[in-house]
Amino acid sequence: MTMGSRQRILDSVRAATHADVNRYEDVPRGYIRAGSLDLQGCIQLMTERLHEYGADVVQCAPVDLPHIVLRQLKQSGRHHFVVPSGFPTDWMLSGVEWLIDQNLTHEEIEQCGGVATASSSGVADSGTIVLHHGPMEGRRVISLLPDFHLCILRVSQIVETLPEYFSRFPQAPRLATYISGPSATADIEMTRIKGVHGPRFLSVIILRDDA
Amino acid sequence: MSGPVMDPRIAPPFPDAALPILQNTQLRKNVAHATDVIQAKRNRLVAEKQDWQELRTSAAAIRAHVLANLGKYLEEFETNCTAAGGVVHWAKDAAEAGQIIVEILREENASEVIKIKTMTSAEIQLNPALEAAGIAAVETDLAELILQLGEDEGSHIVVPALHVNRHQVREIFARKMGLPQLPDDPEALTAAARTYLRKKFLSVSTAISGANFLIAESGSVAIVESEGNGRMCLTLPRTLIALAGIEKVLPRFSDLEVLLQVLARSATGERLNPYNSLWSGVVPDDGPQRFHVVLLDNGRSEILGRKVERQTLQCIRCAACLNTCPVYRQTGGHAYGSPYGGPIGAILTPQLEHMRHAQSLPYASSLCAACYEVCPVKINIPEVLIDLRAQVVDQEREESRRWFDPMYLGMKVANFAFGDAGRFRMAQSFGKLGLRFFTGKDGWIRRLPSLGSRWTLSRDLPGMADQTFREWWAKREAEREKGAR
Repeated sequence: MTMGSRQRILDSVRAATHADVNRYEDVPRGYIRAGSLDLQGCIQLMTERLHEYGADVVQCAPVDLPHIVLRQLKQSGRHHFVVPSGFPTDWMLSGVEWLIDQNLTHEEIEQCGGVATASSSGVADSGTIVLHHGPMEGRRVISLLPDFHLCILRVSQIVETLPEYFSRFPQAPRLATYISGPSATADIEMTRIKGVHGPRFLSVIILRDDA
Repeated sequence: MSGPVMDPRIAPPFPDAALPILQNTQLRKNVAHATDVIQAKRNRLVAEKQDWQELRTSAAAIRAHVLANLGKYLEEFETNCTAAGGVVHWAKDAAEAGQIIVEILREENASEVIKIKTMTSAEIQLNPALEAAGIAAVETDLAELILQLGEDEGSHIVVPALHVNRHQVREIFARKMGLPQLPDDPEALTAAARTYLRKKFLSVSTAISGANFLIAESGSVAIVESEGNGRMCLTLPRTLIALAGIEKVLPRFSDLEVLLQVLARSATGERLNPYNSLWSGVVPDDGPQRFHVVLLDNGRSEILGRKVERQTLQCIRCAACLNTCPVYRQTGGHAYGSPYGGPIGAILTPQLEHMRHAQSLPYASSLCAACYEVCPVKINIPEVLIDLRAQVVDQEREESRRWFDPMYLGMKVANFAFGDAGRFRMAQSFGKLGLRFFTGKDGWIRRLPSLGSRWTLSRDLPGMADQTFREWWAKREAEREKGAR
């Protein structure tokens, strides 16, 4: 039955378009691709956008990172944190409970107050954190169930515009999540409410590269 | 509270459905407030975007390119999605799509399924089909949850419960969730929904989503959302079914750089939606381990073959045309009798019904073209509306009973009178004579009897001039000739 429908749909689609000549190369691309800001400007814009979303943003040097991670996690008022399997162990100082995600169950992850991950890219123009869910960013579920998300973004990963992100990653990753502010709804009288289902609190560490 | 009729096959014509709504001042207030807020945000963010028109041009061109090459891209998507571990199904119509989904859920022994908001599932009336099969659908989008618990119907493509206010939401939640003490501030109401749904997310093992975009080159599916209920449904269950119209394909991953930008700004007035998710097929140890895509035709390939109407399929469901439409802003979505309301609904719904239902919708417009101006993929909605109106008139002409229709007879008489100069002159003289009686001192006609009152009920009509253009022209020519002599 389905096979029959497949052929039928494709046949009528082809019949409807057989006379069309429309080449992909001819699509006009007059929009802005590359941004105009320098690195400092990008970092500043990224920070502003994240602040607009109510995210907490700090910058730090690589040498200070483990301490800053610990400080931010402690400040969240939570105690148990899940981290992806590839999260560097030297970023995990003692002082909070760490849980490394080796195929944890949903219930185990749900019990964690927060999550700490790296990120794959950051888009300053929209304040977007990109996760491609590799070993450093973790499985999708760990950055979803806990209520607090600490995300480490390297300066070298920040681009200004969305098209610049796509130039860096022309091939689709198997998985990607683009986070532009914490979970929100405006479904009741257009009043913006933070935190419907995803993490309600987002904290970002912008990690300066080694000088 | 019984919901409005949102099935175009049985819904009353637009003017009949709109009339009682226009008297519902609370609903109109809610709709006006919501559309004002979204429009203000949208306008501010569009204004800050220097390359907005260039983005629109590209978005429209990408969508038009996809439609012109749809067969190729659908097969490419199928190949790549299958290679990534997904199962692709094809459904020619709503009934077949429903059957496919029910069958998959039966194989999963599912008695419950969690859903991300999907317009396409409303289009195919999926929830009643699931219910008939003994499967309970749980809507997880906050607005959809409000509607489901309130036994109401969506009235907007992006914010479907915009016609309901906080007091009404409180009443519904208090009753259905057993929370009599629930206050009516949006924060508390949202928290109640979070708690209610969290249990569902963690316990239900099958989910249904729509698709904002299908990526041909990678076989990926993209979902944009705000709340995170989408991420929950895409991540936690064992099995996921994505239902998508065949027109939703994009050639390449990087085409999202255009479409995501215009969609977010147009839909909710954001630079990007809070959450966008992308996945291809099945990824070991991450998310659902069984993944199905149902590609739905349901009239789309027919629309594709029509020259003027094809652009309807460029739509990315941002609902900017609803928010700006002077008709929608007065009536809200229920008057359209279809999940797709507003200007895009007025052109999409009758076409999905093969022009056999919803013929009043192409008339539910003032043709002011505000919808065209805001459309991020440049669908010339007024052009399509006019073409569909012509089709409706053609249909009516076919039906013999129209001979008794005064409007049709009037048109026939006009056709006869306007068809010949002598007859036209005569009609003008009669008309002048006849209308003089109804024309006020200021030259305007405010009230006409019987059939004519249908016009003057809502607008004035200028009286006929003392001198017709032809008379004036003939006189002028005569005088010039005299002068030249």
